[in-house]
Amino acid sequence: MRAWIRTSTSAFSQVPLLGWLFGALIAVALEHLVGTPLALALGLPKIPVLFGFVIMLKKPILIPSAILYVLCIYVVPIGVTTRLSISRTNRLAAELFRSPIVISVAVHLALLYAILHMWAGINDYRLLVLKLTLIAIMVTLSLNVINGYMGEFSCSHPGFMALGAYGASVFTVVLFVDDRLFGAAILPPALGPFMFPIALILGGLVASLGALAVAIPSFRTRGDYLAIISLAFMFIVKSLIENLEFVRGPRGLSGQPDWANLPTVFLWTVICVWIINNFVRCTMGKALNAVRDNEMAAEAMTVNTRRTKIVAFLFSAFWAGVAGGLFAHVLGYVNPGTFGIQKLAEVLAMVYFGGLNSVYGAVVGAVSISLLGEVLRPLEIFKWIIIPLLLILVMIFRPTGLIAFKELNVTNLVKPKQNPDEEM
Amino acid sequence: MRKGFLCGVYVLLVIIAFSPSGCGNGETIKIGTIKIGINAPLTGDIPKVGEGTKFAAQMWLEDIQAAGGLEVGGKKYPVELAIEDNESKAESAVKVNTKMITEDEVLVIVGPQASKQAVPAGGIANKYKTPMISPWSTNPDTTKDRPYVFRTPFLDPFQGPVLANFITEEFKFTKSAVLYDVASDYPKGLAEFFKKAWENLHGPGSVVAFESFTTKDADFSSQLTKITNSGAQVLFTPQYYNEVALIVQQAHQLGWKEPIVGSDSWGSAETVQLCGKDCYGLFFSTHYAAAGATGATKEFIDRYKAKFGYVPDDVAALTWDSLRIVQKAIQDTGELTGDLKKDRNRVRDAMGRIEKFKGITGEMTFTEEGDPIKCAVIVRISDAGEFEFYKSVCPTG
Amino acid sequence: MTFFFQNLVNALQWGSFYALVAVGYSMVYSILMLFNFAHGDIFMVGAYIGFGVSTALIALASSGAVVMPNWLILVLTILFSMFLTSFVGMIVERVGYRPLRDAPRASAAITGLMIGIILQTSTLALLGARRISFPSLIETTTYNVGGVFVTNKKIMIVLVSLLLALALHQFVRRTKWGMAMRAMAFDYATVPLMGVPLNTMVAVTFAIGSALAAAAGILFGVAYPVLDPYMGILIGWKAFVAAILGGRGSVMGATLAGFLLGFTEIFVVMIFPSTLRDLIAYSIILLILTFRPHGFFGEPYSARLRL
Repeated sequence: MRAWIRTSTSAFSQVPLLGWLFGALIAVALEHLVGTPLALALGLPKIPVLFGFVIMLKKPILIPSAILYVLCIYVVPIGVTTRLSISRTNRLAAELFRSPIVISVAVHLALLYAILHMWAGINDYRLLVLKLTLIAIMVTLSLNVINGYMGEFSCSHPGFMALGAYGASVFTVVLFVDDRLFGAAILPPALGPFMFPIALILGGLVASLGALAVAIPSFRTRGDYLAIISLAFMFIVKSLIENLEFVRGPRGLSGQPDWANLPTVFLWTVICVWIINNFVRCTMGKALNAVRDNEMAAEAMTVNTRRTKIVAFLFSAFWAGVAGGLFAHVLGYVNPGTFGIQKLAEVLAMVYFGGLNSVYGAVVGAVSISLLGEVLRPLEIFKWIIIPLLLILVMIFRPTGLIAFKELNVTNLVKPKQNPDEEM
Repeated sequence: MRKGFLCGVYVLLVIIAFSPSGCGNGETIKIGTIKIGINAPLTGDIPKVGEGTKFAAQMWLEDIQAAGGLEVGGKKYPVELAIEDNESKAESAVKVNTKMITEDEVLVIVGPQASKQAVPAGGIANKYKTPMISPWSTNPDTTKDRPYVFRTPFLDPFQGPVLANFITEEFKFTKSAVLYDVASDYPKGLAEFFKKAWENLHGPGSVVAFESFTTKDADFSSQLTKITNSGAQVLFTPQYYNEVALIVQQAHQLGWKEPIVGSDSWGSAETVQLCGKDCYGLFFSTHYAAAGATGATKEFIDRYKAKFGYVPDDVAALTWDSLRIVQKAIQDTGELTGDLKKDRNRVRDAMGRIEKFKGITGEMTFTEEGDPIKCAVIVRISDAGEFEFYKSVCPTG
Repeated sequence: MTFFFQNLVNALQWGSFYALVAVGYSMVYSILMLFNFAHGDIFMVGAYIGFGVSTALIALASSGAVVMPNWLILVLTILFSMFLTSFVGMIVERVGYRPLRDAPRASAAITGLMIGIILQTSTLALLGARRISFPSLIETTTYNVGGVFVTNKKIMIVLVSLLLALALHQFVRRTKWGMAMRAMAFDYATVPLMGVPLNTMVAVTFAIGSALAAAAGILFGVAYPVLDPYMGILIGWKAFVAAILGGRGSVMGATLAGFLLGFTEIFVVMIFPSTLRDLIAYSIILLILTFRPHGFFGEPYSARLRL
């Protein structure tokens, strides 16, 4: 058995990323073409929405069919195509690798987008889950900058998200929506989608401005005291918005236009991952790690700790704000109650589950917690026993999270896994 | 050669990927059962509300099952409930609604209860052209400009003046105080409508103390001290019953001897159970009075009590009424075509056509917006801790 | 003037809860430098255990088997519940924290958070959604002292809180166990080498912290007799603020910080419009920490903080 696993893993170890994306694309295309007939043939009411988990928990009798479906649509096609196309995809990857890295990355991203688009095209529930997952990735990554790379325990991210969400929402609602609250639209709504990035950036800047309230005290203190400063900040933001009557206080702001479609959210997530990855890998990121490990030594090694801290906070808050803006526009509604302690627990769980100091970890954490939350929905209350238990187990066996301290090296990721000249 | 082939496959796949998907939409799905979605807060801040919703829905389902299914146009359809937990969160309520509409393919949605979930969830229901009826949401935004969204309770702009008028007529007071939760949309909305109505009656400044706290607070002594010292003659507190118990007891411990008046959120059996003797003799407005109820209302209360062991909250009664309205609307369509999209539209139209409905929470007439016009009941908590009918206030004009 | 004194009395009662929860929090925090995010939920469990114990004792007393006045029931409830809840604390430590003793502190904080969620959800699943009314063990008597209203409960709560804090202070200062704890707070790594049984000491610390949480839970039940499974969340986070504000390894510091937090919340409402309470109260905390970055009794920041 073990030998078999070893041979099969080694057989797949040479598959480049391109091959996996290709396989997944085949799988989702297959689902589009034969998903419904296959599901019906297997006795499932329709295409299982989240890899069959929901239906398995709801109707245990359908477990074999659901497993069979996942095998037929996802596992076998991906396995077969990746395995069979190893030499071709490797060659293609090598080809792309020789051209500028930007082109190679763009092709990979286009493939990834195509997969997500088709996967989400089956069902709008999938689309919504996907969008919220992508937003969760952004928040987790930005929190990872502070909690992972800088080693603080910041509790203020829901506050930053709230500031971003309200900043962006006020901008779009005031300018482009006929609304009881702010009156008629100032600019033609047709212009809106092009101005949406500006709204998001504005949201991010508002969040950055708020972050100064946490960044400045962080010059003189850190660790536990900073944790409560950031917690106090979160309470302040929530209370502030509750008292702002022009955004309707606790009743929430609704009517955000529906501009946060999948391409927009995907693009922003990619930009966010790319910029944060570059940020943490450049001198600034190393400075952050230096501050985390030993502030005094860092100071002695000419790291400007104050500048490092303030930049990290503003940068991280900016992305949390952008994510908040997208979040508000995906839901079309935002209220201060959303950004409370519950949200804090959720994002902290994502960061520490995935892994500190790692872009991979943030992605893994955000995706797994978001999907777990949806997949276990049929368990009702017991969902909130299972998810914490899983997290505790992960913490016990991997205290720094699933994938911690791993750099995301794009070049390594897209390069061919096999020398194309050596024929297999 | 190989490369060309690979490129060809890739282009083909991209075309498939970006072509509008043909699956699922508009396809005729044979209707065997009628699915009704229940979007309820089973966990989170207000699990009790979720429980009441769930129990009322289960009781309704039992009735339907006992009758052998829901009869539409001479044909009996089995009914299935999709009860989902929205964790008392706005984003989760949106997810749940999307899931029920696109994945579970429900015909109608009942819920969510609280306005902070009903407002965004109503947007989703409207977007997907699925009728939704919220049994408990009182925020005007829930149904505003949303032809597919309805509700069963009366609105805050109605309840606020009702209470202001009642206190003025009953006690002849001119100075009032308000204590409400600033972080929760329902109490804040109602508190503001009450304040407006009161100041219309007695002039600006007649609300002598307008104090607030934050959700999950347990100590209101500071606010109550301010209220006690403000010279107010009556305290209005539109709070949920768990907070009512604390507010009333603490007020009495701080020497407050004037009446305390509440709103429909007091209407739970737990109010008296938690509050005890301190609450006896107080008044609040609600949808129905449990003690002394007659007819269908009494029948509902008795059955609920026998089954689940306590007198149903107003949420349960309103959920029951919502389900009955849904049932009537489905039956009014005459027949189900089996095309979900068409059926949802027909149900919406039928629901919009309902002009008068006699529910257990009173007779309601629906407006264009899908909001009911119904009477409020002023209830007095008797010295035996029961909710006694005191008087009924109906909207004028 | 009576207005001020009335608020002073209010603040004393509210602050004593924060103080009592913060002291329990601070016990664990001082020794292990651990954010015990489950503490608020242990407080909740303590209140529920107190409810169970007192209901059982009342049933016993009313059956006539044993003659017990109500005050005795209350005292017994507090003692029994403290005892029982201390086991909850020890179990939490054994399951959630001990395997993570050498892991980064933040990981242990996350397990704490998750254990808290499990405690809330299991309470909700076991007991259903209904809120529970804590039995009123002592009849409320209101005294009017020159316009200031004081109840016997208020006096009792403040006294018991102070007494427990003082007892703990003496325990930490005077006993051998307390000395071991202080030594561990001072140098966590070396103390086991001096023959102090580390695991036992940590377990005892958790037991004491949880017992205090239970006492706070019951007093809370007496003063605000509505229990629900989520009641511990906010108090837990606020106690976290108070415990850190009070400084590491200082029972009196945590007590004072707890009272400070209570006083801030009450007096902000007294002076400003109450809608702005959280905004102003937490801005004050933020300002205090900006200018006194190490709280009141904390050691100045040093680079050797374990992270």
